[in-house]
Amino acid sequence: MNLSLERKSLAGESSRNGNSETVRAKLSPEKRALLWALLLGAVSLGGALLMASPIQKISSWAFFTGGSSSEIAVSPQLLAQGAGFFAQSCGDCHGDDGHGDEGPDLHNLAISDARIASQIKNGTKGEMPSFAKKYHDPEITALVAYVRSLR
Amino acid sequence: MSIDPTLWPKLHGASTHFPVALAMAAALFDGLSALVPASSPRRAQLRAAGYFTIILGALGTFPAVLSGLFMTKGRVLGHDAELFHHLFVWPAFALLVGLGAWRAMVGDKASPRGFAIYLAVLFLTAGLMAGAGYWGGELILNS
Repeated sequence: MNLSLERKSLAGESSRNGNSETVRAKLSPEKRALLWALLLGAVSLGGALLMASPIQKISSWAFFTGGSSSEIAVSPQLLAQGAGFFAQSCGDCHGDDGHGDEGPDLHNLAISDARIASQIKNGTKGEMPSFAKKYHDPEITALVAYVRSLR
Repeated sequence: MSIDPTLWPKLHGASTHFPVALAMAAALFDGLSALVPASSPRRAQLRAAGYFTIILGALGTFPAVLSGLFMTKGRVLGHDAELFHHLFVWPAFALLVGLGAWRAMVGDKASPRGFAIYLAVLFLTAGLMAGAGYWGGELILNS
C-alpha cells in the first residue's frame, strides 16, 4: 500500500517536472525576452523609487548641501523677521512649515541666494506672484535667510 | 569639504538629453524600417540603428534618473511643472528599460507581430520622453 502511494507521488512529481519543462520549451525567445523586459523595467522603476528615501536622507548632509552656502550674515532677529514675512506671504502656497503645498518644498534649496531673491522679487508668470512691491531688499534678505534655514 | 550644490542640476542637464534623443531616434529608425520593403538592405541598416539607439537610450536613463533624484533631494513627484515632469518620467523610464532589454535579447529575430507591438510601445515611450523633456524645460525656464 505504502509502496504504491510512493510510486504514485513519484510519478506525479515527474509529470509535473515534465510539464514545467514543456512550458519553458513552449515559450518563444520573444516571450521570454518580454518576461525579462517586464521584470527589468519593474525592478529599475522600483529600485529608483526605493532609492528616493535614502537619497532624501543623504541630501541633507553638509557634504551634499555645500555646507553653509548662504552669503547672508544670519542672526536670530533676521531669521525671526524672515519667518514672520514667510508666514504672512509664503505659507499659504509653500506650506506653513515650507514643506510645500500648492508651491514647491523650500527645504534644502540647491540654488543661490541671488536666485531665491530674484524668484521672490519677480515671481513666475502664472505660478507665483511678484513680491517686489511688497518687500524691499532688506526684507527680501530676511526672507532668503529664513528660506535658507529650512533644512 | 563639500560638493558644489549646483553639481546635480548640471549633471542632470548633461545626462538627461541622451535618453530623450536616443528614444526618439530609435522610434524614427525603427518606424522608417517598417516603411521600407523587407527585401531592401536599408531595412536591416535602419533596424541596426534602432537596435543600438534603444539599448544606449535605455542605459542612458540610469545616470539621468540618478542625478535627477539627487537634484530633487529624493522627491519622486513634487508640484506643478516638476509633478508633470515626473508623471512623464517614471513610466517612460520603466518602458525604455523594458524596451531596451527586449530588443537586446531578441535582436533581429523579432516576429512581424512582436516587432509591431514593440514599435507601438516605442512610439508611446518616445512621446512620454518628449513630455518629460518639455516639462523639464518648463521647470528650468520658470525657476
